[in-house]
Amino acid sequence: MALGDLEREVMQQLWDAGEPLTVRQVHDRLSRERDLAYTTVMTVLDRLAKKKVVTQQKTDRAYRYAPAQSREEMTAALMLDALSAAPDGVRDAALAHFVGRIDPSALTAAIEAARRGPAGS
Amino acid sequence: MTALLLGALGLTLSLVVPGSLAAARWPARAPAAAVALWQSITLTGILCALGVVLAGPQELVEELGSGKPAGAAALVAALVVAALIIVRLLVSLAGVTYRSRTRRARHRLLVDLLDDAERHGELPAEVPEGLRVLDGPLPFAYCLPGRSPRVVLSGGALRVLDRAQVAAVIAHEQAHLRHRHDLVMESFTAFHRAVPRPLRSRVPLDAVHLLLEMVADDAARRRCGAAPLRSALAVLGDAVGPDGPRPGDSGSRDAARPGGPGSRDAAQPGGAGARRRGGPGEAGVRDPGGAEDGGGAGAERRQRIDRLDGPDPRSSMWTVAATLMAVGLLVLPTVIVVVPWLDRALSAWPL
Repeated sequence: MALGDLEREVMQQLWDAGEPLTVRQVHDRLSRERDLAYTTVMTVLDRLAKKKVVTQQKTDRAYRYAPAQSREEMTAALMLDALSAAPDGVRDAALAHFVGRIDPSALTAAIEAARRGPAGS
Repeated sequence: MTALLLGALGLTLSLVVPGSLAAARWPARAPAAAVALWQSITLTGILCALGVVLAGPQELVEELGSGKPAGAAALVAALVVAALIIVRLLVSLAGVTYRSRTRRARHRLLVDLLDDAERHGELPAEVPEGLRVLDGPLPFAYCLPGRSPRVVLSGGALRVLDRAQVAAVIAHEQAHLRHRHDLVMESFTAFHRAVPRPLRSRVPLDAVHLLLEMVADDAARRRCGAAPLRSALAVLGDAVGPDGPRPGDSGSRDAARPGGPGSRDAAQPGGAGARRRGGPGEAGVRDPGGAEDGGGAGAERRQRIDRLDGPDPRSSMWTVAATLMAVGLLVLPTVIVVVPWLDRALSAWPL
């Protein structure tokens, strides 16, 4: 299994849990479906923490991990990054859109909808 | 003399040529070659600047020796400006490259974490590697270029497009990725930003952007046919970019700006879009992003849709002609530098 897929599943577990989890807890949840080394989960969580998408808190003896943003917040931030125009109006070379930019008012509305939660899609 | 000649050529290429090339209609018939011609025009302009730097000092000495202060002053000015342009170009290229690399890396990380493709059965039978689905009602599609590229579709896009249209959109985006259109856009963006603000023109940037879209459209058309691509353009375009003015949009745009990636230039004064307002909305002279982005994108989309009507508009005659022009232009500065030298060398030849 690719590392990217594993990262995504670990994130999913953290989002679903709703509370900070230890490496052990994440490992337990993921091992329900397949064999997975504890150290692999630890590595993945460490990588995600380095990339600042999860936060690491030291409680008692163990580190606990929590998502830095809710899934909805992260989706909203990503949409905003993908669709908002560059500040000085120069078309940003980083992404290529199929059809131009999105209507800013529609964008704002969509971001708001995404922040409130899954929008029935 | 060489320096002044090169300077004149450079000025012609940067001030006169872009306007007429952007207004011309033939580039739509040979978009890839037209992109090459734009690159050649830009590169030749830069070569001219370099030529002025290189030929300037020697001619400056000659001018000083013969005691013509006006000519000498002109050459000094040309030299300073040319050196400045080259330094700015390099700095700008490094900046644009670095910014888009970091932004893409972060964007790729997040889009991989949020990918929702497994839940979407309406995707084509063979889902290409690197396809990601972002959950959300807004219909849009884009690609994330780089060494490990992604094509991103929103859940909203999958809802409004049928299978054939989705395949056409993916083929379009993959053409962008395969031909590394990002590198072309980056180089033009870097060039644009390197030019001092009062002299900046969006004309090449917008023209090249439209041409690259046409190149990708042609590739998608070859693979999936014109009809699904055309209808996908219409459907997604209607959803994201209604034409015409929208009330209070610059305000909402500012409010929507995140503290996230891409906002480090946000210190610039607002209303940048409004200041550049006023260009005619016709082909190639579209308005900048910001206030009238929807209008510019709308005009661009209409041109692309019209182009997909009827038979393949590409013409090999124009392709050959544009390619020849591009090559010829690139050679011109060299000729200007070499011919006087050759002349002198030949006259010194003992015969």
